[in-house]
Amino acid sequence: MIGFDAILMSFAAALHYESIAIILGGVLLGYIVGVIPGLNRAVAIAIAIPLTFYMSAYAAIAFLIGLSKGTAAGSAVSAILLNTPGEPSSAATCLDGYPMARSGRPRKALKVGLLASVIGDLLSTLLLIAVVIPFASVALKFGPYELAAILIFALVFIAGMAGGSFLKGLAAGGMGVILGTVGLDPETGAARLTFGYAELMEGVPILPLVIGTLALAEMFVQLDEYRRNKGASVIKLSKDKEDDLSYQEFKGTLPTIFKSTGIGAFVGALPGLGPSVGAFMAYGLAKRSAKDPDSFGKGNPNGIAAAEASDNAVIPASYIPLFGLGIPGSVSAALLVGAFMIHGIQVGPLMLRDHPEMLFTLFSGMIVASMLMLAVGWYGLRIFAKVTSVPPHIVIPVVIFLCLAGIQVQGYGTFGLVTVFAFALFGYFLKKFDYSFVTFLVAFIVTPMLEMNLRQSVILSGGDIAILLDRPIALAFVVFTVLMALHLGWSSYRQWLRKRLKAPSS
Amino acid sequence: MKMKLLGTAILSSAVAFGMAGMAQADEFPTKPLTMVVGFGAGGSTDIQARVLANVLEEELGQPVNVVNQPGAGGGVALARLANNRDEGYTFVFGTSMTITFGPLSSETDYELDDFRYVSGVTLGQSAIVTGEDRPFGDSWEELVEYARENPGVSYATQTALDRMIIEYIARQEGLELRIVPTSGGAGMAPLILSGDVDFGYSGGTHSGYADTGEMPVLMSLAEDRLVAFPDAPTLQEAGYDINAAEIRVVMVPKDVPDAHVERLAEALEAATQDERFIEITEERILMPVTYIPEDEVTQTLRDQVEGYKALIEELGGLPDEE
Repeated sequence: MIGFDAILMSFAAALHYESIAIILGGVLLGYIVGVIPGLNRAVAIAIAIPLTFYMSAYAAIAFLIGLSKGTAAGSAVSAILLNTPGEPSSAATCLDGYPMARSGRPRKALKVGLLASVIGDLLSTLLLIAVVIPFASVALKFGPYELAAILIFALVFIAGMAGGSFLKGLAAGGMGVILGTVGLDPETGAARLTFGYAELMEGVPILPLVIGTLALAEMFVQLDEYRRNKGASVIKLSKDKEDDLSYQEFKGTLPTIFKSTGIGAFVGALPGLGPSVGAFMAYGLAKRSAKDPDSFGKGNPNGIAAAEASDNAVIPASYIPLFGLGIPGSVSAALLVGAFMIHGIQVGPLMLRDHPEMLFTLFSGMIVASMLMLAVGWYGLRIFAKVTSVPPHIVIPVVIFLCLAGIQVQGYGTFGLVTVFAFALFGYFLKKFDYSFVTFLVAFIVTPMLEMNLRQSVILSGGDIAILLDRPIALAFVVFTVLMALHLGWSSYRQWLRKRLKAPSS
Repeated sequence: MKMKLLGTAILSSAVAFGMAGMAQADEFPTKPLTMVVGFGAGGSTDIQARVLANVLEEELGQPVNVVNQPGAGGGVALARLANNRDEGYTFVFGTSMTITFGPLSSETDYELDDFRYVSGVTLGQSAIVTGEDRPFGDSWEELVEYARENPGVSYATQTALDRMIIEYIARQEGLELRIVPTSGGAGMAPLILSGDVDFGYSGGTHSGYADTGEMPVLMSLAEDRLVAFPDAPTLQEAGYDINAAEIRVVMVPKDVPDAHVERLAEALEAATQDERFIEITEERILMPVTYIPEDEVTQTLRDQVEGYKALIEELGGLPDEE
């Protein structure tokens, strides 16, 4: 169905110098964002979306994917040199990266991290391509019944898995759902929760919401933390010949890299777990299966390799449910859905069927991005090591400016600015009280789809629930959802019970 | 210090007078123009608008900036334009449905008479479509017959307007339909292609399937038969007295001076003959380019509003008022 020619063509398109320049721009920017502690992937993508308005749809998405990949690789640099992860998901990299750098081998640590990142990313991208393509032939089997069932399942799963308590997860999801229902009712056209604002008739505009809750709120949190911890010391790179990675040493870490990539890809394919979980799981497994577990945490290159390979493998794998079914499984995937929508493309199974060239060019672009990551990281080592010391009092105002400028570019006017600040406050409190961010955002993005599919199902079936018997896929997911909710409810009830039983004895 | 201040004052007033003098010479336009698009960046209106802006820039000799003001199906942009006082330097490029049916189906701060319609530049190609291998084939008559015998045939709607039309038809023909809401062409296409829904409304998505034949057209909602599907009858030919033709128009507030409107119209007429505009519209968006002068397009829009009002009355109010 998808010809060899088409694949070659897509590669040719991705290797065009313009595409390379755009992807390189994305990777480079991502790398810098990753290196700077406090600036994270979600912030970067949220701010970058308005920048992509003037690009073609393909260039925009390739740029954003390059950006997202670059952050994962770049965050290792500050984890190793500064003991502060550039992304939360690189926390596991600190464990061995920082001790190794302190013992006079910073360059070696950085190179192990980089190679592990690139290999993890590349293999996971190939896996994504291999898994998503077969979806095209069955895509149309997923009608409104199936999609409604899968979306509900995904929401409950994310609420349960995103960490913290199940109830808080559900609450965050509920807030997302409520905000997602703002706007005109798809069936009757009645205005819901718009309070007379025409701007809200098509729903809460996604960009102000995302920039507010993610980027601006994060800056508020950073400001808060900046007051408390000032001045961490940066390790400088030496010119020591000893401090370089030999081929033998690299070969020694390869088995760890492959195993960790597998873990990362698995975690990524499940919605809601995210790269932090993947990195720590891979690190734990590498430590447990090592011959010398005691050397972990003291500068073992395998520790860095495990954390970084898995961290990077999660990202491409998290696009499997995105491109296969149109369901975003992570914050960055949810943001990509928004970016696709802005560029007039509906992400999902039909994309593969009707615009395979677009998807293939995207996949080739992702592979190109992996390669560029290696080049950027390898030759930019010294420069990025310096970027770690950009002080927050420069970063924070610049980011706030970019946030507000991004909203103005979109043409929402004063309404947009007010919305951004309202959501920044909202996001700040979400973070402070530890409500799951992924659950909130994914619920917000998914709600209109869910509502539409659910209503379609009810109308098409004439309200007859027996339709599920004709639709085995939908039925299976309904059963999964019920089991999942029961299991999560039961285990959090037991936790609560245990806490209560312990309380009087202590 | 004082001298300096005085100097600045004289200089700036001189500049201000100079500008005013230029404007009075009435060589409209003397400064950059703004083309407002009531939809987000990247949609078909936006893609077309950006090319149109480039062409107009050459015709008018001033930069034309495209600004997106999305919301309410283009309604937000019109509400702002209604209050605009800059004499034609800001105009909206949008679709006729926003101004004809918008004020009828929801509460808006504007109505048809708040604007002047400089000209129409493109004809919409909306249609009632179906999928392959349906029991009623791809003929409208057979669909009506089939639906009469099988209550519960499903129809995918996208807009309040097509919903009203199908409800009118259902009443005329005595059909019992299941009307399913979908979001845009991308939401409708999988339902029609998979056969989950029997037939539906399509704004332009069907043009993309013209070559493969996967989405046959049952009936044209444009004034004439569709370019890519000449076999399907129009609404009137099928026996329904409705004009729902969508036209892409350029609108300005009603008090813009005649001279400015004329200058804009001239430039737009030239743009409809420009290769670049024709290519993006007819080959990428797949809609025919045509130039409709102010009188004609205004009359058409007025007739449409009257037609819709009559239709709403006949149906006993809008669906959401029931």
